[in-house]
Amino acid sequence: MEQIIANGLYLGAQYALIALGLTLIFALMNVLNFAHGQLYVIGGFVTYTIYGQLGLPYVVALAATAISLALLGGIIEKFLFRPVIRRSSREESTMLLAAGIAFLLDAIILLVFGEKQRGVPKILNGVLNLDFRLIMPYDRILICGLAIFFITAFILYMQYSKTGRALRALAQDRTAAYLMGVDVERYSMIGFALGAMLAGIVGGLLVTITGVNLGMGGPTSIKAFMMVMIGGAGVISGAIAGGLILGMMESVGLSVFSEYGDVTYLVIFATLMVFLAIRPQGLMGKPWG
Amino acid sequence: MITKRSARLRHVLVGLVGAVAIAAGSVAAQAANKELKIGFVGVTSGPAAAWGISNVRSMQARAAWINETGGVKIGGTTYDVNIVTFDDQKDPKRAIAGMEKMAQEGIHYVVGPNVDDGAAAVRPVAERNGIIYFPYAFPKALYTKPASNAVLGMVANYQSGPAIYTYLKDKKGVKTVAFIAANESDPLSQRDGGVAAAKALGLKVVSDSVTYQVDTTDFTPVITPVIKTRPDLLVLSGVAPANAPQIIRSARELGFQGLISTETAQDATVLREGAGSLADGFISVGGASTPEIASDAMKEFVARYTKMFGEYNDESNTKVYALEYILETLKANPAAMNDVEAFKTTMDTFSAPNPYMKGDAVLKYVGTSSFGQRRQVAVPLVVNEYRDGKFETLFVAEVD
Amino acid sequence: MGRTGRFLGVGIFLVAVLGLVPWLIEATGRWDFYYTLTSVALLSIASAGVWLTFYIGRINIGQGAYALAGGYVSAILITKYDVSFWLTVPLAGLFCAVLSVFIGLPILRLRGVYFAMVTLVLTEVARLTALALPITNGAKGIASIPLPSAVTVGGITLIPDFAELANVKLAFYYVAVVLMIACYAGLYRLVNSRLGHLCRSLQQNEELAASIGVNVTYLRIVAYAISSFLGGIGGAIFISISQSVYPSSFQVADSINFMLNCFLGGLGYVFGPMLGTLVLYFGWDLLFEAGRFQLLIYASLLIFLMVALPNGLLSLRLPARWRRGG
Repeated sequence: MEQIIANGLYLGAQYALIALGLTLIFALMNVLNFAHGQLYVIGGFVTYTIYGQLGLPYVVALAATAISLALLGGIIEKFLFRPVIRRSSREESTMLLAAGIAFLLDAIILLVFGEKQRGVPKILNGVLNLDFRLIMPYDRILICGLAIFFITAFILYMQYSKTGRALRALAQDRTAAYLMGVDVERYSMIGFALGAMLAGIVGGLLVTITGVNLGMGGPTSIKAFMMVMIGGAGVISGAIAGGLILGMMESVGLSVFSEYGDVTYLVIFATLMVFLAIRPQGLMGKPWG
Repeated sequence: MITKRSARLRHVLVGLVGAVAIAAGSVAAQAANKELKIGFVGVTSGPAAAWGISNVRSMQARAAWINETGGVKIGGTTYDVNIVTFDDQKDPKRAIAGMEKMAQEGIHYVVGPNVDDGAAAVRPVAERNGIIYFPYAFPKALYTKPASNAVLGMVANYQSGPAIYTYLKDKKGVKTVAFIAANESDPLSQRDGGVAAAKALGLKVVSDSVTYQVDTTDFTPVITPVIKTRPDLLVLSGVAPANAPQIIRSARELGFQGLISTETAQDATVLREGAGSLADGFISVGGASTPEIASDAMKEFVARYTKMFGEYNDESNTKVYALEYILETLKANPAAMNDVEAFKTTMDTFSAPNPYMKGDAVLKYVGTSSFGQRRQVAVPLVVNEYRDGKFETLFVAEVD
Repeated sequence: MGRTGRFLGVGIFLVAVLGLVPWLIEATGRWDFYYTLTSVALLSIASAGVWLTFYIGRINIGQGAYALAGGYVSAILITKYDVSFWLTVPLAGLFCAVLSVFIGLPILRLRGVYFAMVTLVLTEVARLTALALPITNGAKGIASIPLPSAVTVGGITLIPDFAELANVKLAFYYVAVVLMIACYAGLYRLVNSRLGHLCRSLQQNEELAASIGVNVTYLRIVAYAISSFLGGIGGAIFISISQSVYPSSFQVADSINFMLNCFLGGLGYVFGPMLGTLVLYFGWDLLFEAGRFQLLIYASLLIFLMVALPNGLLSLRLPARWRRGG
């Protein structure tokens, strides 16, 4: 039992961090960013290159990852999303652009980093073992802690900094924020960069546990969509709740249904659909987000 | 209007592609020998890219080597080998398109596809167009009559599984086995085959129902219930090279002490980076690159591959053979160049020395006991154990 | 462009796809294009369904589920119950339509990204169901499905047995293209009918539509059922070409592609999905020459097209009267 909860918490913390970036971008620009998972993968590969290949300290690698992904996010927003959003008649059209970017990043990852699964040396050795009831390697505990730290830092930043307030205003009502003198274009770019940075940070954290490969991008995006959907699109607390719930569902489901094999995920997905049919805006979302 | 518009756009696209093709063609045109095209249809992008890429690169490395040393002589004519590749994105519908493309190019010998659904989907096209193809997929229906154009390019898990289990039962005292597989066609079929083989050997199967999504990033919750059954041997059925180190790491960190094995080929670097010393003792199926059995040709192949692509992939060991078989069989019967029926006839009697392995191993077509006809390449069944960043050969067996 | 112009356009299109294309293929010897164009026709039928859900204001990323379901229905009927392929196609469509009513009733209440994401999950649910059910033969799939058999009425052969045809590819091409033409003609008719106008009112404002007495729930279900019907028949015919069906025959990537086809062609144009499918699918095939840079070039072109023409390819200087909706 303890093991199941600990697994769920660990999964939930990393999921929540992935979902945060996605929901932020969605809240600001109404863009369902299909390339979110690819940003996560690039984050993992950047950390792999700096920490695993060049041998620089892990903290340096993580910081470099955050910066490079923020830059990448800013560029994508400024040169790709902004012109398309301005000129398209239906805002869903950005989905094609997002998917195109996802393909492009996949292609670049394959050409630059290769097709193999990559991993880095463990950042911490040893395993916490409470009587075989709860087993948790120390590096997992550290990563889980770091994930929670970044989530907290992000919430505080959004709550108390000037940028954070501007972003929240933008998310609530774009037109009103514009009329109140918020530089909409600038903050859209900052928001996108922040979202991309979060994705990169998760990649940088998880590469130490699970490694990274080029195929993780698409599925990660889809998982992040599910979390955002559970919690409510465009709501920060919703993303965190969604991440934790999905993590717990996987952990508990895999345990309870282990006898029946293939049905575990079927049950999870079906539950999700039933849940949304009952509560169409997710846990905390605005209706008709 | 619409027709015109689409036609115009198509012209632009065709033009663009044409430019690329001409650029590529001008490079190829320098070769003096005649050209022998061999096809590859498989997955070289997306999550499963590692399978196809290790496959196509081993073909490209071998072709470049042949061409550099003057080409291959078949029936008095010398050819340069040109590998024509098609990325099917692991989509059976694309695989059909790929096979059509091969037929269009006048190719009669194709390596791939890499998965069950693709291999089944291309069968009608291959048979209609006279193409012999070498899939890396295990369903027996592909190789038993009335099917006749597919040749299994490797050792199937229902052949390697029993050999590995017998060895572990006799040498390591394994009594209980647990299976875990991704919830996809190939791994699930391989798991079912493995379970049947283990039961036939009198092993007790303690868990065979746990599956995982291919996109799983954390295997601890997946593997926890399996570890609780405390098996002597944990079999990772049809495990993708990307997932193997993660599963091993999760299992070991949860305190699993037993053996772990798989019937697919793995890469030592991936295991070292992903699981480090936790992967020590992991048993997998390999080709012939371990120092104990690798011939000088194999060593040179690895060196050339590494030079060409920057890094070797141990999965390529098992995939170097298909091209060799095609070329050697063509040499044995030049009439098969454009006539796959002649190729099929030759398959029954064909035999040539295996250049990649020390000793007197031979290349020949086998499979009569599994498929009722010779529709499998005889590659040595090399079972490896991972230790300290590289593979060591546990034992070598033959498939009939 | 008046009525005559439109007739002329349709006429040119029919001559092109039914006569010119096969003639060009014979003349140039590019036999492989038959399969590619057949795929385009079938995928654009499924994409047309997705387009229809867009038309009522829903982003549908779940068409792969219905294509897979349709494929399995056809495969099971043919292999287990010996039903003629030609009968299984409409049956597969009907099965999907009925299925979609049950699924659609709850989920069509969702809007925007919620609907999009639920349908995305639906595709994965379909794959896992196919893996778990005994009738679908689980992971092993259904292989060696026979080719379409002959149809004879009163001793006259209407459709020959495909297994005895010299050029099966051409036969499948005609089947797919004729169906595609029928499907788009129907779609065009639908969009310009009273039902179509009502659907467009849903796209713009559901509350308003409901307030003036439009039965919103009924309309949504009808549109979604038609959409799924098209997905089902598209899948069913594909299965008979590959003569096999696996849980992975249609997957999430396909669902996303169906949606992208609509976007690329232009959401405001009935024939958008057809053109979108042609460019996306054919484009990938043509780029086959680019080898390992295929995906890179493909993605770059896609992004370029989107940045240049954010409202789809057909937004390129088309007479206003061809525009529908949006």
